Amino acid sequence: MIRTRLRSLDMSLLLPMLLLVLMGTLTLFSAGRGTSQANLWLKQSLWYFMGFVAMTYVAGQNPRHVFRLSLALYVIGILALVAVFVIGKKIGGAQRWIVLGGMTFQPSELMKWLTLLFVAQRLATRPPEQVTTWELISTSALVIFPMLLVLKQPDLGMAISFLPILVLIPLLKGLRAKWVALGLIFIALGSVLAWQKVLKPYQKQRVLTFLDPSADLQGKGYQINQSRIAIGAGGFFGQGFTTGSQTQLNFLPVKTTDFVFSVWAEERGFIGVLLALGLFGMLLTRILEIARSAKQLADTNFCVGAACILGLHLLVNAGMVVGILPNKGMVLPFFSAGGSSTLSYFLGLGVVMAIAHRTKVK
Amino acid sequence: MPEGQVPYRIQKRIEALKVLVWAGIAVLLLAYGWVQLIKRREMQDLALRQAVKNRATPAPRGIIFDRNGHKLVDNRRALHLVIQAEELPNDPSLVEDLATRIQRDPDDLKRRIALSRKAGGNHMVVIQDNLDDAGLAQAELLRARFPFLSIQTAPRRSYLGDTLAGHALGYVGEVDEKILEKNPERFHLGEIIGRNGFEATHNDEIRGVDGMRKILVDHLGREMALYGVQEAVSGRSVYLTLDAGLQQILKEAFGEENGAGVVIDLRDGGILALYSSPSIDPNVFLNRLSQEQVDYFMRNPVKPMLNRVTQGLYPPGSTFKLLVALAAMEKGILKPETTYHCAGHKVFYNRDYRCDGVHGTMNLVQAIAHSCDVYFYELGMRLDVDDINAAAEKYGILEKTGVDLPHEGTSRVPSRAWAKKYRPKEPKWYAGETISVAIGQAQNALTPIALARFYGMLATKGKLLTPHLFFGFRNEQTGQLDPVRPPPPRDANLDPKIWSVLDEGLFQVVESGTAKASKIPGLSMAGKTGTSQVTTFVDKAHYAKLAKKLKDNALFAGYAPRENPQIAFAVVAENAGFGASSAAPIAKKLCEYWFLTRPKNPLPPPSSKVPEAMKLEPEVVE
Repeated sequence: MIRTRLRSLDMSLLLPMLLLVLMGTLTLFSAGRGTSQANLWLKQSLWYFMGFVAMTYVAGQNPRHVFRLSLALYVIGILALVAVFVIGKKIGGAQRWIVLGGMTFQPSELMKWLTLLFVAQRLATRPPEQVTTWELISTSALVIFPMLLVLKQPDLGMAISFLPILVLIPLLKGLRAKWVALGLIFIALGSVLAWQKVLKPYQKQRVLTFLDPSADLQGKGYQINQSRIAIGAGGFFGQGFTTGSQTQLNFLPVKTTDFVFSVWAEERGFIGVLLALGLFGMLLTRILEIARSAKQLADTNFCVGAACILGLHLLVNAGMVVGILPNKGMVLPFFSAGGSSTLSYFLGLGVVMAIAHRTKVK
Repeated sequence: MPEGQVPYRIQKRIEALKVLVWAGIAVLLLAYGWVQLIKRREMQDLALRQAVKNRATPAPRGIIFDRNGHKLVDNRRALHLVIQAEELPNDPSLVEDLATRIQRDPDDLKRRIALSRKAGGNHMVVIQDNLDDAGLAQAELLRARFPFLSIQTAPRRSYLGDTLAGHALGYVGEVDEKILEKNPERFHLGEIIGRNGFEATHNDEIRGVDGMRKILVDHLGREMALYGVQEAVSGRSVYLTLDAGLQQILKEAFGEENGAGVVIDLRDGGILALYSSPSIDPNVFLNRLSQEQVDYFMRNPVKPMLNRVTQGLYPPGSTFKLLVALAAMEKGILKPETTYHCAGHKVFYNRDYRCDGVHGTMNLVQAIAHSCDVYFYELGMRLDVDDINAAAEKYGILEKTGVDLPHEGTSRVPSRAWAKKYRPKEPKWYAGETISVAIGQAQNALTPIALARFYGMLATKGKLLTPHLFFGFRNEQTGQLDPVRPPPPRDANLDPKIWSVLDEGLFQVVESGTAKASKIPGLSMAGKTGTSQVTTFVDKAHYAKLAKKLKDNALFAGYAPRENPQIAFAVVAENAGFGASSAAPIAKKLCEYWFLTRPKNPLPPPSSKVPEAMKLEPEVVE
């Protein structure tokens, strides 16, 4: 039984995943050492285990059955996001969590994948050339609505991670000059509007800090600066496991979530970064390969969306900790500690696995 | 849509996405490569600089003992809230916030931080010193808010006798900016140096050498590991010539009365006791003074900060008559047997001068014993003021005694040159003025220590000693005294014949004269009483305000025992009236203690059993 189940897993996808999970767990062990989070790596291992079980279960399902549920799941997800506003738990000024039986869940993490599932299915009901502009706009609205709910929590990083789903539009319709122009205008207007109306002062500060981190070394620029020092101090070979001074002396902030990759970079050096990024590249390429080989357009849509969501997380987080992108508060899959996010992307990858299993990608 | 292959152009777009993925990864690798390979050295330096710190460990100053090994000044461990040199904050708003929280002037704090940054080195800025339990709790709260603060252990002075010898010992404090500017090589910013008394004059002997600790700290500045220690070297402990017992007698003798007293060891000039009343408690000056304290110490007409022994200038009154007699005999106008008649007053230069009694016909010894003013008016008539000034010069009164205490005052005996220089409105000297000078009034002003040294000169037949407090270093192995050579005495060439007359006169003062009430059975004390008008440094209006009668100052100076003088002394009791009734009894108490009730050996050597000096060891890190 278990063997049959396991056989539905795509090995080319599983191998880089397992390696990344191993690296992430080691990093958490080192980052938590001597702090109140000394056992965090164990807790996270448990989440990984649960993630694997969930992924294996989903991988054994027929993707058609999964897609059939997508509308219901989407509605449930929206209801959960609304519930966050009503019964959500407020931590540090943001209301993002629901407490269930002593455990906190962040519905927005899962909602990303549910939205992708629904949108992938909706955009696959007709051949791409027959999809009307109106359908594209209404589909975009399906993405933007939960995104705005998340932005209101407020959670800018999470809201941004909904955006990759919209990549399905150029995927199906191609990049057309008028769409690109419209998109750029939309982004420009959106940013002006966001700067003036939506962004909280601390979010504006993050952007300003990104533009000039050295201006405020004691304050907001501190995190990025310490992270860069940690990464740079790692050098080519790294300071060695559990011996990174920036990590072990706590100069590195939020080192188990947002800045966990700096710990890896400090202790494992450029070699380690090369290895991790290489594995991420293999993982994403594999997902895209599954997308390409898929027999159903919905499957392709979903896989492309999944690759883009994971890719954006990687780019934003790894770019942020090294100082080339602003501090957005976006986690790094397989490294950052967190239950909701781990379960969510394992479930998403479960769907990818299910697709791969049916497609029999070489 | 039917099952089948995804349209070709969509596959092409997916292939393009793959390229995009690897392009993104390539960009990331470039960024990491830049930081980890190109900027590696710089980043490693930054990491090291914030994690590895050099912290100065302040060295304790030497312990101060009295001549018998009684501890007068000790060190104890105190906790200070400081900013380490490497943590000096840049953000002015942060400093302002801190300043308001600790109730300090923000500009002052900013200036201190700026100075410290300019000075470099690794000396900390003390924000709050000597934290008690409540202060420590508050400091911890402050540290949570201002991570650049830390708590540092440092030795702190403890003056065990409180007011016992405040003016002699002095106190320590942070080095003044003015002193620092003048001696940039000698002191460093924030250094604790002697600010007054012995602590100041012998700062170089008793200061230690600060040590250094190289430590690993975490982001809160907590010490995580120790890399190396350069131990702080304690300052050398010293013995003073003071005798704590005699000092205590002197202090008690004054009680609440203002004045000054000093006792000098005639063998080497060592000061056995030195007390200025009102005294100061040096411990008070280790803390920031309250407004009340500032008012008491700095704006008080009684001037408690003044060391009356070395800085107080008093008209010497009749104690000056010995110098006048000396000048007259050396000039040849006075023989021991010369007599003058005292009718209680006498007219000179058309002015009537009074005497305290009607003494009848007296010779020199009798005139000294009974302090007959008329006798010395007669001498003043026959002497020129410059003769008296020359004698004062010869017998060391006009020079500083060289005592090892800061800002010694210079005694004054008038002369024609003096009048020309310091009395521009009245540059001419009138012979009539010399009459008052001859009995120690008018412009005469002596420090008690100069007076004691003059009487010490009489006691030793002409030796001018240098009074001093520094006896020697304490040998750290044996605990015994390693004496330093006292400054050699200067010979004033006192004619032995003249000396024997003066000696007899001084003896008769106590034996049968003005101070016979202070005679000690079994001990022959020699000395001279004096009474002088209050003219000098203390504000008369103050006494008027206090409705305290404007009485004269009482003086007594002399030596004992007469046959084999061991000590010389001078005592001034301010506003106490007649010298015989208030100053001489103090001298009597000193001699009684020193020669009769004190443990028998005349001048005991320092005991070898001295408590261990406190050693500051680096804290052990858990």
